[in-house]
Amino acid sequence: MKKNLFIGLILLAIALCPPTLGRISPYNNTVLILVGIYIILAVSLDLLVGVAGQISVGHAAFFAIGAYTSGILTAKCEIPPLVALVCGLVLSGLVAWAIGGAVLKLKGYYLAMATLGLNAIVVKLITGFSSLTGGASGLMGIPPFNIFGISLEDHSHYYYFVWTMVVLVMSGSLALIKSPFGRALTALHSDETAASTLGIDASRYKLHAFIISSAFAGLAGSLFCHYMGFVAPSDFDISTSILLLVMLFLGGVGTIYGAALGAAFLKLLPEITYQFHDYELFAYGLILILVIIFLPRGILGVLKDSARLVMKKRVQSQPY
Amino acid sequence: MQKAGAKRRFPGDDSVNEVSQSPSLLPAEFLLRIEQVTKRFSGLTALKGVSFGIRRGHIKALIGPNGAGKTTLLNVISGLSKPEEGHIYCKGHDLLTMKPHQIAGLGISRTFQLVRLFTTNHATVMDNLLMGAHLRLKPSVAKSLFMRGSIRRQEREVCEKALETLKFVGMEWAKDYSPSALSFGNKRLMEIARALMAEPDVLLLDEPASGLNDAEVEEFRELLLAIKARGLTTLLVEHNMKLVMDIADEIIVLEFGQKLAEGSADEICCDRRVIEAYLGSDYSRAGRGS
Repeated sequence: MKKNLFIGLILLAIALCPPTLGRISPYNNTVLILVGIYIILAVSLDLLVGVAGQISVGHAAFFAIGAYTSGILTAKCEIPPLVALVCGLVLSGLVAWAIGGAVLKLKGYYLAMATLGLNAIVVKLITGFSSLTGGASGLMGIPPFNIFGISLEDHSHYYYFVWTMVVLVMSGSLALIKSPFGRALTALHSDETAASTLGIDASRYKLHAFIISSAFAGLAGSLFCHYMGFVAPSDFDISTSILLLVMLFLGGVGTIYGAALGAAFLKLLPEITYQFHDYELFAYGLILILVIIFLPRGILGVLKDSARLVMKKRVQSQPY
Repeated sequence: MQKAGAKRRFPGDDSVNEVSQSPSLLPAEFLLRIEQVTKRFSGLTALKGVSFGIRRGHIKALIGPNGAGKTTLLNVISGLSKPEEGHIYCKGHDLLTMKPHQIAGLGISRTFQLVRLFTTNHATVMDNLLMGAHLRLKPSVAKSLFMRGSIRRQEREVCEKALETLKFVGMEWAKDYSPSALSFGNKRLMEIARALMAEPDVLLLDEPASGLNDAEVEEFRELLLAIKARGLTTLLVEHNMKLVMDIADEIIVLEFGQKLAEGSADEICCDRRVIEAYLGSDYSRAGRGS
């Protein structure tokens, strides 16, 4: 309990500190908002891939569904953004529910292929329904977020809103993985046959994980579209899904914190590598390769090992 | 009284299934009744018209040479494999219409020939046991997010039960260990403890003493007797004849998927067909249990 409270306070501090400590530039504010949105995405994917063990190479499809639902409802139907956000979240969950029964019967590479296909279909549909979605040129005129008439147009206000959502999604996900529901998912991940003989309904629990993971991705989509004011199919293609998987494995799977670290790392890395000018992409790739080769358990694994080492040294240095 | 073919709810699941009510070939005193079960894998008949029953509170041993169909039968009972013909009844339900998790909900737990433990995401021995208590907790997303107080209370009770079960199998020291760090014998014990956490009525054990040394087999014998004393019904697939002959109330022998013999340890020991097919004449001459 104390540990959870401690972690919650740290998360809250991270969430609220930067603009509170002093005015930060709009650019940095944008970077931090995008870091928050990608943390939600990576954490939601971790629930499905890291905890429930169901590989998805099409998570950006639900990011797109959330973004376009929210965008269309606000830009074309003038529905309040808060209602549109809830609609985006619910529709992403509903789509996951509708296709999950069939898709989650597949395993391993086949599941990966099916989710990859789903991503391609969603992007194709968005491009095709151009009268509604704006097609390949994108959906424009999405209004900034407001809550009961209070506008969050100011970037630092939106920063607080997004990071409040990050804290909510992360604490919800942590509560889920530490609950008997999360244990059932871990059991399914580990050995579906053995889990089923203990009374765990594999198809039901996998579907629930898929729905909640997709709904969180839909939420991220909605947050993204209201911040950008414009969304295009290229924001949600397969490369985004793959980027999310890289974030997950880079940070460390199945822990929620790892996914958040991975997302923050990959979103902040270009802010360092841009100094290399022409060699920016080379530096970005090199750092990624080095991290993956030398940190096989992810960034979180290294942090945990270091903390354990420090604790051990402290115990050894204590006088008898 | 439920009518034939009526929709019936199974424990551990919200779904409904048709219950077949075909006339039973075996007496009703059996808790688990296997009737004329035939299972084929392509051209190979793994089980051919196998019928037997297990009385409540008894240990029934299932023996036979490798490839006789013992594990296939356990898979059929636990729902992991569906036979082409036959029926399996437990508490008035035909198990062949049910999924594995529904069968578990009916009170049938099992262990595996090759131990299957949950090790993902740093799961400990305690986590494994809590996963075994899934049917008691019946978790859901809504409960996990919005009813954390009641979940915590239930968890406390289940944790106490898990510690008690670990103590029962003599492994209370291992609760925070990773299952992969345990010895082979302890892994087997942990798998049994996990199965017991589901509070089953019937325990299906697939070669639980294989790979154990003599001292471990002796401890294991005591454990099986203690499980029996708790009123559990056990179907034991085992090659260790000393253990089987010592503790089984009844023995059934399979060969090439067919029932070769059934009876008490004394009857099986003296059965000429069993001696020829499985036990061997040396076993018969040396006398059982030596």
